[in-house]
Formats: sequence, structure tokens, C-alpha cells
Amino acid sequence: MILIVNTTEDRGITGTLAALLDSQNKEYEVIEASSLEIKPCIGCNFCWLKTPGVCSIKDDYEQILKKIIKADQLWVISDTALGFIDHKGKNIFDRILPIATMYLRFVGDQMRHVPRYDGQTDVGIIYKGTLEREYAQRWTERCALNFDSKSLGVYGEDELKEAAACMS
Amino acid sequence: MHVLIINGSPRIKAHSNTDKIIDKFGEGLKEAGSTYVQYEVSDRKQWDAIRDAFAKAENILIAIPLYVENIPGLLLEFLETVPARKGDANIAFILQGGFAEGIQLRCGEEYLKILTKQLGCNYKGTLVKGDNFSIRFFEGKQRDKVTGPYKNMGVIFGKNGDFNAEECRKFTGPEIFPAPTRLLIGTIFKTVAKKGFAQIAKGWDCTTPLDFRPY
Repeated sequence: MILIVNTTEDRGITGTLAALLDSQNKEYEVIEASSLEIKPCIGCNFCWLKTPGVCSIKDDYEQILKKIIKADQLWVISDTALGFIDHKGKNIFDRILPIATMYLRFVGDQMRHVPRYDGQTDVGIIYKGTLEREYAQRWTERCALNFDSKSLGVYGEDELKEAAACMS
Repeated sequence: MHVLIINGSPRIKAHSNTDKIIDKFGEGLKEAGSTYVQYEVSDRKQWDAIRDAFAKAENILIAIPLYVENIPGLLLEFLETVPARKGDANIAFILQGGFAEGIQLRCGEEYLKILTKQLGCNYKGTLVKGDNFSIRFFEGKQRDKVTGPYKNMGVIFGKNGDFNAEECRKFTGPEIFPAPTRLLIGTIFKTVAKKGFAQIAKGWDCTTPLDFRPY
């Protein structure tokens, strides 16, 4: 399943993507996060050491987390700020920590957390505004390392066709 | 030199590893004849005051825990509200994380150069070091063993005003561990570390296994 989390208020992007995916008969789900309450991660470590797998912050993120676990792809649509995705987009990634366990292992030559669930979720970014694209690509690849998955790339809002082509 | 230190950790000060690092680093700064004032981004009530201080400071240092390969969402949210300087301030960073290898922090470090430009400041380097996850669980001498080395970095920064010295570069430790070391650490992960984590969890009244799947 393709999971699209839109953290911008622009429903036009998700509308265009939906039309593209419908025409390609692809299964997807859109979450309009701008109408949800999603607080920033506070690094309490509870999801690793007190209530394993469960975030201590009780807000609307839990429903997103449950879907990420089952999704083959996670696409985050984000506004930009300071040359990067803005805090609303970043919070979607920061709050993902419950999908990892406290346990550690080496994957290749680097330490990683042992995943809590079996499936892998690839990650892609769609941005509205301007950011340092080369950096954003590098960052998305590093994110994917943590999910034991791969990066689907970084696309501007004028590249939705290209992004949709990578959705499956 | 007077330094504005911003603790960029979203975790409350009492449990903030970054705060304990700043404590030691600050000792070194004072030893080098510098002074500093510290603010906490975790406390939203301080945001107006931090913004004012940021607008006036000559020397700014933001201490940051790595959150998913970059700076925490909460710190981003705060910085999005800060007016950029006009090249009239120096900025340096302490970037710290849980994973022990230097390579884990490089993507975050790269962003701090971009951030510096966005904030209209002059980049004075980033002090990069991992292996800090345990600070909050340690007290006294055990904690000092982890945070203590930051004191000397404070002395150097107090004298130089940047992290360009070779000693600061070396402070990171190994970029990656050699294969035999990985094998050894991997064994520790499966044994001693696992027991240690279970012990901490027990102390936090955790009743489920740490690899529990709630969903």
C-alpha cells in the first residue's frame, strides 16, 4: 500500500496525486495531516523502554504510525523552511521511533536499531517551496537506512507525475 | 568571549543529555575566561527570550541531539520563527547522538552548514560526537566519564571561538568501527546491552518485552 501523508494545507497536491494514481489503478491512502494534531517528539524514550512500541504523546499521530507499519511506501508532502522540509514534515519522521526497538545491531558497517515489525517501508518526499535538494536527497537516503528500506527520492510539487511513477 | 548557548533538545532539561554535555563544556568555557548564558528550546516559555538573545548575540552555540539524521522537529519549529542575522554573528554547534560512530552524525552536520547560511551567521564549526545515549541513566563518576571530555572542548572553544582545531576533529572518534570491533560490539548488543536495557525498563515499571508489537 502507498501511504501519502500531506503535512501542507495544499489539498491540490494530494488531489493531483490521487487523480494520477487512480488513472494507474494503484492502491493508496491519503492522510491530510494539517487537520490533525501532531506534536513534536520529545525524546522521552518511553517507546523503547517503558511502553515498548507505544508513543507517550497521545495525539493523532498514532493512526499514522499504525498505517506506516503496514505501508510499502511512505510519502510525506511537506512545506519547506530553512533550506529543508519544515518542522511539520520533520515531525512525521521524528515520531516514527516506536517502529524501532531499543535493541541494536550492525547492518553493514553501521549500528542500527532492530526493527519492531517485519515489513519495510520505503520513503519519499514531495516538497512545496524551496529546499537544498541535493541535501534533502542525502537525508532521505539516510532515513531509509534507519527503516531498513530504500529512498524513493525527493520531488518538487511540479514533479508529481515523476513521483507518482515511483509509487507502487 | 560571551556565548549564547541554546540547548536544542526537545527533552526537558532535567533528563536532557545535551544539557549535561553543556554543563561540562561550560566548565571549560569558564576556565578559558569566557562566560555564557543558556536557554532551553524544550521550554516554549523561553522562546521569546531566546529569539531576543539570538538577535543580539555575537557568539551563538546551539547544542543539538540528532533526531532522525537531522535537527529535532521542535528545534526546527523554533528556528523557523527566528529572524536571520546579517552576517554579524558567529555560530557553532555541538551535535551529539546515541549511535557511537562519527558517520552517523555527518548528514546532520552537513545540514548545520545550510542552516548557518539560512540564519545569516558565520559558521564556526560543529563538534561531532555520538555514544551519548546513556548519559541520562548515569550519575556521578559514571556520567562524568561520558560528559567529562567535553570540558576540554569548552576550553579550546573559549580560546579559539571555533571548532576548527585538530583536537576537536579527533573528538568524534572512529568514523566506523573496524570489522573485528563490530563483531565484539555486536556480541555485547546481544548480551550485556540487552540485559542493561531490560534493567532500565524494569526501573521504569515496564511490564512488556522491549520487542513487543502493540499494533
